Amino acid sequence: MKLNIEGLLVYFPYDYIYPEQYSYMLELKRTLDAKGHGVLEMPSGTGKTISLLSLIVAYQRAFPLDVTKLIYCSRTVPEIEKVVEELRKLMEFYAKETGERNNFLALALSSRKNLCIHPEVSSLRFGKEVDGKCHSLTASYIRAQRHVNPNQPVCRFYEEFDAVGRQVPLPAGIYNLDDLKDFGRRKGWCPYYLARYAILHANIVVYSYHYLLDPKIADLVSKELAKKSVVVFDEAHNIDNVCIDSMSVNITRRTLDRCQNNVDTLQNTIQKIKETDAAKLREEYRRLVEGLKEANVARETDIYLSNPVLPDEILKEAVPGTIRTAEHFVGFLRRFLEYLKSRLRVHHVVQESAPQFLKDIFDKVCIDRKPLRFCAERLQSLLRTLEIADIADFSAVTLISNFATLVSTYSQGFTIIIEPFEDRTPTIANPVLHFSCMDPSIAIKPVFQRFQSVIITSGTLSPLDIYPRILDFRPVTMASFTMTLARTCLCPLIVGRGNDQVALSSKFETREDFAVIRNYGNLLLEMSAVVPDGIVAFFTSYVYMENIVASWYEQGILENIQRNKLIFIETQDAAETSMALEKYQEACENGRGAILLSVARGKVSEGIDFVHHFGRAVIMFGVPYVYTQSRILKARLEYLRDQFQIRENDFLTFDAMRHAAQCVGRAIRGKTDYGLMIFADKRYARADKRGKLPRWIQEHINDGSLNLTVDETVQLSKHFLRQMAQPFRQEDQLGLSLLTLEQLESEEMLQKITQIAHQT
Amino acid sequence: MDDQGCPRCKTTKYRNPSLKLMVNVCGHTLCENCVEMLFVRGSGNCVQCDTPLRKSNFRVQLFEDPTVDKEVEIRKKVLKIYNKRDFDFPSLREYNDYLEQVEDIVFNLTNNIDVENTKLRMEQYQRENRDIIQKNKAKLTREQEELEELLLLEQQGNEQRRLEALQEEQRQLQAKKKNKQALLDELEQSQLPATILLAQHKVRAAQLETQIEQQKQAVKPTNLFSTGIQMRQTVSLQPVPRIEEVLYHYKPLQVETYGPRVPELEQLGRLGTHGDSSTTGDLSWTQPSSETGELS
Repeated sequence: MKLNIEGLLVYFPYDYIYPEQYSYMLELKRTLDAKGHGVLEMPSGTGKTISLLSLIVAYQRAFPLDVTKLIYCSRTVPEIEKVVEELRKLMEFYAKETGERNNFLALALSSRKNLCIHPEVSSLRFGKEVDGKCHSLTASYIRAQRHVNPNQPVCRFYEEFDAVGRQVPLPAGIYNLDDLKDFGRRKGWCPYYLARYAILHANIVVYSYHYLLDPKIADLVSKELAKKSVVVFDEAHNIDNVCIDSMSVNITRRTLDRCQNNVDTLQNTIQKIKETDAAKLREEYRRLVEGLKEANVARETDIYLSNPVLPDEILKEAVPGTIRTAEHFVGFLRRFLEYLKSRLRVHHVVQESAPQFLKDIFDKVCIDRKPLRFCAERLQSLLRTLEIADIADFSAVTLISNFATLVSTYSQGFTIIIEPFEDRTPTIANPVLHFSCMDPSIAIKPVFQRFQSVIITSGTLSPLDIYPRILDFRPVTMASFTMTLARTCLCPLIVGRGNDQVALSSKFETREDFAVIRNYGNLLLEMSAVVPDGIVAFFTSYVYMENIVASWYEQGILENIQRNKLIFIETQDAAETSMALEKYQEACENGRGAILLSVARGKVSEGIDFVHHFGRAVIMFGVPYVYTQSRILKARLEYLRDQFQIRENDFLTFDAMRHAAQCVGRAIRGKTDYGLMIFADKRYARADKRGKLPRWIQEHINDGSLNLTVDETVQLSKHFLRQMAQPFRQEDQLGLSLLTLEQLESEEMLQKITQIAHQT
Repeated sequence: MDDQGCPRCKTTKYRNPSLKLMVNVCGHTLCENCVEMLFVRGSGNCVQCDTPLRKSNFRVQLFEDPTVDKEVEIRKKVLKIYNKRDFDFPSLREYNDYLEQVEDIVFNLTNNIDVENTKLRMEQYQRENRDIIQKNKAKLTREQEELEELLLLEQQGNEQRRLEALQEEQRQLQAKKKNKQALLDELEQSQLPATILLAQHKVRAAQLETQIEQQKQAVKPTNLFSTGIQMRQTVSLQPVPRIEEVLYHYKPLQVETYGPRVPELEQLGRLGTHGDSSTTGDLSWTQPSSETGELS
């Protein structure tokens, strides 16, 4: 259908539209008009992706000079593929409606592991190996050597691409990863480099978060993306953690040992080169004296995305004299390494700030702050000069040099924690130096600064105002959309008590309480008798789950449950879990019914959807707080309190509730779907917890379902399930939660739609 | 560091956890016992390189690699003499050259290259620059100053937070005490029955409790983003208002092209393609791909 969104003609590839989709597009359009950033929450299963795509594509067509590119960031490869498929549908619709083939280029980008077509390289199992092998075949000096020595192996796909592919632009169309591979095979070009090259002039790029947020990767891939782009982070409820992870460094004893080897290799290589090809080192030296001016010019003229590891002042200055020659630099690395080793030899936990660390390092090994700051850049230059083929080998020393640069650049927002052993095993020495980032805004800042519009969207972003605060940006729109429903297909229930009136809670004091565990068991048992097909149960941690399941086994609860349904368990092992999932689905499929016991924050809770009969009920046992005793978390909480005025409790609750919402949201993946959401902890009834659930869930919690016993829960569930089991046709939805074009354009509906978006 | 040991008596850290390794100016290790034994007279030669050493110069080995210990020792000595700061130089380039020179000296001394000449050079430098060395002795480099400042700030912040917490606690204690005292007074003087008074007290105590709880949670509100924008400012959803006043008047650039007429920008923008696509190309969809070369 063709929509008119405030004067913008939008092609929407379906015959019907949900009212919230229309509202979502309205908000999105306003954000783009204002050229600002936005935070939008819309329930999963209401067609977020297609609304985003159709509006932004329409916007691109209408104002090709204002918005040149859409960068769509998602989390996993299957999600990326899904987006591309939606896009393909949209483009087919365009072709059908307008009758002309438009020259629209959209493509997905993933790692070499997913894109390589070289017969030997692609058969390697791990991403790192593939990257290393690829680099050893395609690095520029390897290829230069081939001119001298024709036996030197190179990648023929890359050669072909380099010779021909660069001149010929990728023909317009929609490419997912397989399409790229096919195209590469047909032409004999390397799909990975082809894709990386093509994203510069593509209209839509779909890739993973890390290509923008991780400074190391972003520097390679996304540096030159146009400023007038719209960036979308989908499923962004965890974006702060991604940012933090990308800037944090953990150094163990093993890293240092590997680093020692790296430094030795560097020294040997330098020695060798000095004897054979001293001119090369002199050339590098000359360049360093001149400074890193090239990159600086590029950044100033807005060609490059800035990189938080490469701060601005470095680009303006030349490398300090202390680390200018290769030997001195290696000596410098050696000293730094020895210093880190001596720090890791502590017997008690140390926590210090970056300035303290810098002062100590100066006192101990006379290393100034300035050369430390240049460390990462200097190492890159050295590795390039020495023509080291297998970069993967040097990951340890690269890590250390990144750490050096970060610690000397940022005096705030980071903390250094040295733990001599893990908390659980105080007798086994396993020293770790955590250099942990506490401020997610550092990593994401360049993205907000560079790109004209950044949209953060997900099914669960409540409370909305916390994201702008912790990411430190100013959105022009913040909106939360609810689901319009023809029937209330979700039923959130808060179970606070067992049948014997024992308060249900996973709080620390009652962890081991048999009464609580028994009542949890009872709840699951009763539900397994009432709910058809699949039930998914989430626990707060693996340890807690193990304890409870063991105790259920002893009490004979498991046996009783198994009369009703089969039980599957998620474990930390990925292969085991995927096996369990497969069997779970099989059991749901053939009518036997199954229960999946899994863990909040685990794999299942984040990526796997339980549509229709795969998840008729989700039970959340306890509130999934993070492990609050971790020092890294404590430091972060303190930082949040001091810098952003976010209270510890607020943040912890926010974090727990977003994970709880993620878990229970797994069951409802669309409007025809239905499911029970059972929160089994009395703490959910409190206003501060409840208020942090997404609005589309909150709406359906009424006062009657706040502090139920197990029996009452069963009664309510029975009632709900019987209602939902009645036949439900599309006609029932029409006009209420599903609209045709005429219905959409009626005055009354437009009125209603304006109320859907909940501004905060 | 378990596998490290004394080269002379072959004791290792593993066998003797209290083993203390020492290192002298030549960068060779000896354990404490061996040092005691070999250097009873206060001086002697290194077992490995025969350098004459003094017992008093033995230091506890800090690092796994004894050469690093040696280098740090030498470096500290050199830096005492070569202590020019960046503001002593007219340009950054010269300062960097100077730093490299220092680094060269340290490198030579550590690796025993051309030791005599280097030492001579150092002495000469010391003689020539006596004033500056004296003057800079007490000065810190600018970066160190910055560091000190940061540390100071951090300390002050911590101290203040601690004090605030302490005061807060004190205030709460006092409030509680006062409340208790009030109850006692009332019990003594009031005509009401004790049960009612106790109930009243209970309510008051609960109120106090919640009040304290609230105070604890109420952190100083900052309502500024780092960009300087008010936090709870109502954000209007209207497109950014256009500034009405006439500031700048754009005059289209007139260029004589001596060729076919260039299509209007407007036309290009709206329609995407222009009729004669072979010459003008598609400006909007495919940007001219410049030769960017290898990315990695």
